[in-house]
Amino acid sequence: MTCSAADAEKLARARRQVFLALFIALAVSLHILESLLPSPIPWLRLGLANIMTLSALYLYDGRAAWTVSLARVGIGALLLGRLFSPGFWLALTGTIIATSVMIIVHRICGRHLSPVGVSAAGAAGHALGQVLAARLLIIQHEAIWQIAPLFLFFTVFSGVLTGWLATVLLQRLGQHPAFQTAGVVFDGQAGKD
Amino acid sequence: MPWNRPLIIGIILLLLTLGWLRTNSGETEQVRRSQLMMGTIVEIVATGQDPDQLEAAIDEAFAEMARLDRLLSRHYQDSDVSRLSQSRKGGKVAPETAEVIALGLDVARHSKGAFDMTLGRLKALWDISQENPVIPKQEAIAEAMEGIGPRALSLEGLNLFKQSPQLMVDLGGIAKGYIVDRAIIVLKKHGINNGAVNAGGDMYLLGQHPEHPWRIGIQHPREQDGILATVQVRDKAVVTSGDYERFFEQDGHRYHHIFDPETGSSARGCQSATVITKSVALGDALATALFVLGPQKGLELLAEYPGSEGLIVAADGTLHPSTGWASYADSP
Amino acid sequence: MKTPWQVMTKGDWLIVLMLLGIAVAGIAWLAAAPKGTRVVVTSGNQTCFVAELDQSHSVDLDGPLGKTHLVIDETGAHVTSSPCPRKVCISMGPAKHSGDLLACVPNRIMVRIESPADENAPYDLLSR
Repeated sequence: MTCSAADAEKLARARRQVFLALFIALAVSLHILESLLPSPIPWLRLGLANIMTLSALYLYDGRAAWTVSLARVGIGALLLGRLFSPGFWLALTGTIIATSVMIIVHRICGRHLSPVGVSAAGAAGHALGQVLAARLLIIQHEAIWQIAPLFLFFTVFSGVLTGWLATVLLQRLGQHPAFQTAGVVFDGQAGKD
Repeated sequence: MPWNRPLIIGIILLLLTLGWLRTNSGETEQVRRSQLMMGTIVEIVATGQDPDQLEAAIDEAFAEMARLDRLLSRHYQDSDVSRLSQSRKGGKVAPETAEVIALGLDVARHSKGAFDMTLGRLKALWDISQENPVIPKQEAIAEAMEGIGPRALSLEGLNLFKQSPQLMVDLGGIAKGYIVDRAIIVLKKHGINNGAVNAGGDMYLLGQHPEHPWRIGIQHPREQDGILATVQVRDKAVVTSGDYERFFEQDGHRYHHIFDPETGSSARGCQSATVITKSVALGDALATALFVLGPQKGLELLAEYPGSEGLIVAADGTLHPSTGWASYADSP
Repeated sequence: MKTPWQVMTKGDWLIVLMLLGIAVAGIAWLAAAPKGTRVVVTSGNQTCFVAELDQSHSVDLDGPLGKTHLVIDETGAHVTSSPCPRKVCISMGPAKHSGDLLACVPNRIMVRIESPADENAPYDLLSR
């Protein structure tokens, strides 16, 4: 059942590395799957890969969330052939701001929120990041901000969706021995920190 | 799994929205694109159901225009026009070039030389569009005009003959119009029946604007923001030649890009001439001819082309419409 | 499996409604603001500059030959300097009516005036 390798700390670290690698792989797969779906506005996607970022945040910590999200953006772009394309910079900026927001929100009011709220905040940050990058790189004028409210509107819904899916995933994972220490159980009340 | 009502309502709303979006795509779309070519801004407007089809049609129209520009413009070394100018007797030309020249020769003869395609040397001499244009000396002008005239070129099949070796062919007064006509043919080929191709003011209107017939304003030759008249047209070409587009002024005289083959200098009879007719090539040539001929002779020439109407603004600013012009005009 | 609203806490609702509120307010504010005539500049096929015609601007537009300088003031949008040889773009004069176009062909800069109230214009295209 447990391996005989050294002590619990080394075991935990090994487990963390393996699972984060799996999360990254899942996130990339979700990202690629999503990119195959049609979308009325380019770069407006559900952001399903964020489920894995959220899971990393809740099961481990902020650093894990950074690992999963940044790796997903990089590897995803590499595999789709979009590395360093304008779309890549939009995604990167969005992800950086989204992940920052999620970690901060989780740290400050994680007690009062479920992943849904954290995800919604992150989604808003992602939208903001994308519009900011577009303003700096593509259309050098204030007119680009005009799509920001509409963008924000839609990303809130996708944020709720991915947050909910992350909750479902976390509840299942939380029941597995490998993640017992994380203590993630959500039932409409405060999630544990 | 408790699939409760809000979720189901949400899904139904989403499906309804998607359905509504799909049915709305049956509305007509209008695509408008501009490109810099032929030394001016060319704008193509196309109305239809399928934006992808419209975009593809416009792409092909622009490509065709660029191809023909390379063939007919004297600014390209390898164009038919440049080749002919450099050759001693003339030579074989592409079918499109022959088509333009045939039409031009018809107008040249009807207008008794007022429209002339052999003014290449004269135009190069004056070079209106450079930064500091200079009025050429009389001797230089006389030399540049040697051998010009409607009889100077003759066309047999695809072979063009020049009467004098130093003649330089210039299709500037008709090529742009022809190229617009060809763009319209491309649009029609793609099944587009409503749209417009506008090359810096020389245009063809196909069908109508989505909400009303095409309304075309005619630029006032002396008031920059002013409109001389508005016409309503359908499936017609509208071409205006004016002395206000490319010019310089010296000693109280305006020197512009429309030359009078009799004087070797800018034509003085008119401020502008507008023609509404069935093809832009014909309109282009006629507008140039009208400008050179002046109001009286110009309207007489126009009468020889039934189905073509025009409005001439004389040098003193008076308006001279052709007999049928009023049928197009909203407000004269 | 619990539905989203069974999972969401009060805090979640607070965040979601607050964000939606900001978005809706933004949309309403933008829709209500009267849309003025705009100056749209394209270089090649890319839109590189957009501005309202009724605000003064002075901007450098980049092209393959260098910088074409565009000024927007009471007379409209006009080019004041450009690296092209013939300066045709400068002599085109100010553009201020919907549909007006200016261009520096050698530097591949095109300026067009766009107005949402196009139905009020007396004509669709100008023959000149």
